[in-house]
Amino acid sequence: MSAETVQAIIDDLGALLLFTMILIVAASQISRAIYAVAAQSFLIAIAGGVLATATGNVDLWVIAGVTLVVKATLLPWVLHWVVRRMNVRREVEPVIPVTATLALAVAVVVMSFHLSASLGTVRQSITGNALPVGIALTLTGVLVMATRKTALTQMVGLFASENGIFFTAMAVTQGMPLIIEIGVILDVILAALVMTIMVLRVRSTVDADIADLDRLRG
Amino acid sequence: MAETLLWVLPLVPTVTALAMLTTRKRRVLSALDVGGSAILTALTFVLAREVAAGGPRALGVFRVDDLGLVFLLLLVVLTLAVSIYTVGWLKQAVEVGNMEAKSLRSYFALVHAFVATMVVTVLADNLGVLWIAMEGTTITSAVLIGYHGHRHGLEAAWKYIIVTTIGISFGLFGTVLVYAAAADVMGGAGTMSWSAIMQVAPTLDPGIVRIGFIFVMIGYGTKAGLAPMHLWLPDAHSQAPTPVSALLSGVLIKCALLAIIRFQTIAAAACGPAFAEEVLLVFGLISVVVATPFILAQRDIKRLLGYHSVEHVGIVALGLGFGGAVGIYGALLHVVNHGITKALAFFAAGTAIARYGSRDMRAIRGLLAVAPIGATMLMLAALSLAGVPPFSIFVSELMVLRAGIGRGYWVAIAIFLVMVVIIFAGLLHHAGAMVFGEPRGASHKAEDWSPLAGMVLLAAFMILLGLTIPVSFDGILRRATEIVVG
Repeated sequence: MSAETVQAIIDDLGALLLFTMILIVAASQISRAIYAVAAQSFLIAIAGGVLATATGNVDLWVIAGVTLVVKATLLPWVLHWVVRRMNVRREVEPVIPVTATLALAVAVVVMSFHLSASLGTVRQSITGNALPVGIALTLTGVLVMATRKTALTQMVGLFASENGIFFTAMAVTQGMPLIIEIGVILDVILAALVMTIMVLRVRSTVDADIADLDRLRG
Repeated sequence: MAETLLWVLPLVPTVTALAMLTTRKRRVLSALDVGGSAILTALTFVLAREVAAGGPRALGVFRVDDLGLVFLLLLVVLTLAVSIYTVGWLKQAVEVGNMEAKSLRSYFALVHAFVATMVVTVLADNLGVLWIAMEGTTITSAVLIGYHGHRHGLEAAWKYIIVTTIGISFGLFGTVLVYAAAADVMGGAGTMSWSAIMQVAPTLDPGIVRIGFIFVMIGYGTKAGLAPMHLWLPDAHSQAPTPVSALLSGVLIKCALLAIIRFQTIAAAACGPAFAEEVLLVFGLISVVVATPFILAQRDIKRLLGYHSVEHVGIVALGLGFGGAVGIYGALLHVVNHGITKALAFFAAGTAIARYGSRDMRAIRGLLAVAPIGATMLMLAALSLAGVPPFSIFVSELMVLRAGIGRGYWVAIAIFLVMVVIIFAGLLHHAGAMVFGEPRGASHKAEDWSPLAGMVLLAAFMILLGLTIPVSFDGILRRATEIVVG
C-alpha cells in the first residue's frame, strides 16, 4: 500500500470512529451505547490491521488482535451481561440534556482539529488525521463519563476514551512498544473488572445503583 | 548489587502479598506485614547508599536516580510506619466490627499490592510502565477505599476510580504525544525511556510537547489531587480505612507529583522552563485557594485532612512553579515533610476516631485527658501542618516562599500567604478544640503500644527534619534538584 492509500484509509476510519462516538453520545438506551462502543473498537482493530500491513510491524497485528478479542468482544459482552444480570431498567440518565452534550461533542471535535492544525512538523510522524480524531474521541469519552449518572454508561465513556488514545498511539510512526500496549490493555481489563464488581456490590450490599450514591458533599 | 535491587524492590511487597494469601490468622498477617515492610525499608536504604556512592543505576525499564530516591525513601518509611500502626488499629477495628476477621488477608494483600505498584511508579524509567503502574495503584487502592463496604465507602470508591481513570487517560494521551515527538526526532522506533528522551529533549518539537505536558498535567494532576481535579480526594481520604488514608495522602499523591516532575523536565528542555512553570503555578494557586474554605467549614476530621492535602500539593506545585534551585529543593523537601506529617495526622485522627466512635470534630473533645500521648501526637501534627516553626513544614514552606520572592511573583506570594494564614488559624482552632476541654463520650481505655509506636516513629522523623536536614539526605535532595533544574 502506498502512503497516500494508508492515509486515506486511516482518515476514513477516523470519520467512522467519530460517527460511532456521536452514536454513543446520542444513545438513549444503554445497550445501544454498548453496541456503538463495540463497533468503535472493531474499527480500531481494522485500523491496527491496516497500519500493520503498511508498516510491516508485526506488533501491530498482535495489538489489533487483542483489541478485537478484548475490546470489541469481551468487554461489551461483560457489559451486556451486567445489564441483564442487574435487570437494568434505568437507562443513561444524562445530567444535562443529550442535545446539549451533542453540541459540546461537536465543539470538542472542531477544537481538536483546530488544535492539531496548529502543530507543524510532528503531524508528519502521525499518520493522517489520527491525532485530531484521537484527541476528539478521548475528550468526548470523558464528556460522556462526566455527563451520565449510571455506572455502565460511564464505563462505555471510559472505553471510548481509551479507544481514542489507542488510535493515536497506533498511528505514531511504528506504534508504541508492544509490551506497553499490552500492559495498558491489561489495566483496562482490570479496571473494568473492578468497576463491574463494584456495581454488583453496591446493588447487593446497599440495594442501590451507583447513580443513587450522592451523599458525600462539602 | 544496586542493579539487582532495582527488580528485587518491587518483588518484596509482591511476595509479601502472595504469602499473606496463605493464612487467615491476624497475628501471622501482622507479622508478615511488619516484616515485609521492614525488609523493603532496609533494602531501600542499601540502594540509597549505593546510589550516593555510584550515581544513578538502570536495569531494563527500571532506573533509580536521586529524584526517584527522595520519593522511594518517603514511600518505604511510611509503609513501615503504616504496618506498625496497623497492628493495633486492626485489633481495635476487628473488636468493634469495622473489619471482618475473615477477610483480613485480602485487605493485607491488597495493601502490599498497592505498595508494589507505587514502588514501580517511582522506579519506572519507561514512561509507559510509569502509566501502567499508576493505573495499577488506582485499581488496588479503589478496592481498599471501599473496603468497609458501607454506602459512603462504596460511593467514594466509585467516584475515585471513575475520576482518576478519566484523569489517567489524559496522562496516557500526554505520554503518547511526548512519545510521538521523540519518535519524530529519533526516527524509526522511538523510545519511551525517560532518560533516553531527556537526551534528545532540547530537539523535540515544542508545540506537541506543550500539548502533551498539559494533558499530563491534567492527568497526573488528577491523581495528585490538584484542584480543580481534586473532587475524588476528600471522599476517598475520609472513607478509606485509616492506614490506607495515610498511604494515599502520604505517598500516592506524591508519586503522581513525581510523574509530573519527570514530564516537567522534558517540557522545560523542549520549550523552555517558563511554560511548565506557569502551568504548575496556576494549578498550585487554584489548589491553595480552593482548599481554604473547605478546611475552615469542615466538621469531619478525615475530610479536613483530605482538603488539607489539596492545599499542600498546591504548595509543592507552587514550589515547582517558582522554580530555580531553591524552589525545587523546597518543593521536594515539602513532599517528604508533608508526607510524613500528614500520615502522622491521619494516624492520630484514626485513634481519636476509634476512641470517640465519631469522625465529627464537634464530638471529639478533651483528648488530652483520656489519651495524653495520642493527643500530643495530634497536636504536634496539627502544629506542623499549620506551618509553625520549628517543625519541618515551616522550613519547606519558607523555601518555597523564598523562591517566589526571588522570582518576583508578588501576586502569587500574596495569595499564598493569605491562604496559609487563614488555614493556620482554622487548623489550630480545630485541633485545640479536640485536644483540650472536658472529655465527653470517650472511652477511657489505656493507649495501645502499636498505634503509638507507628506515630512516634513518624514524629521523630518530622521533628528531626524540622531541626536539621541530615547531610546524606541533603545530598540526595541537592542532586535531585540538579536533575530537575538541569
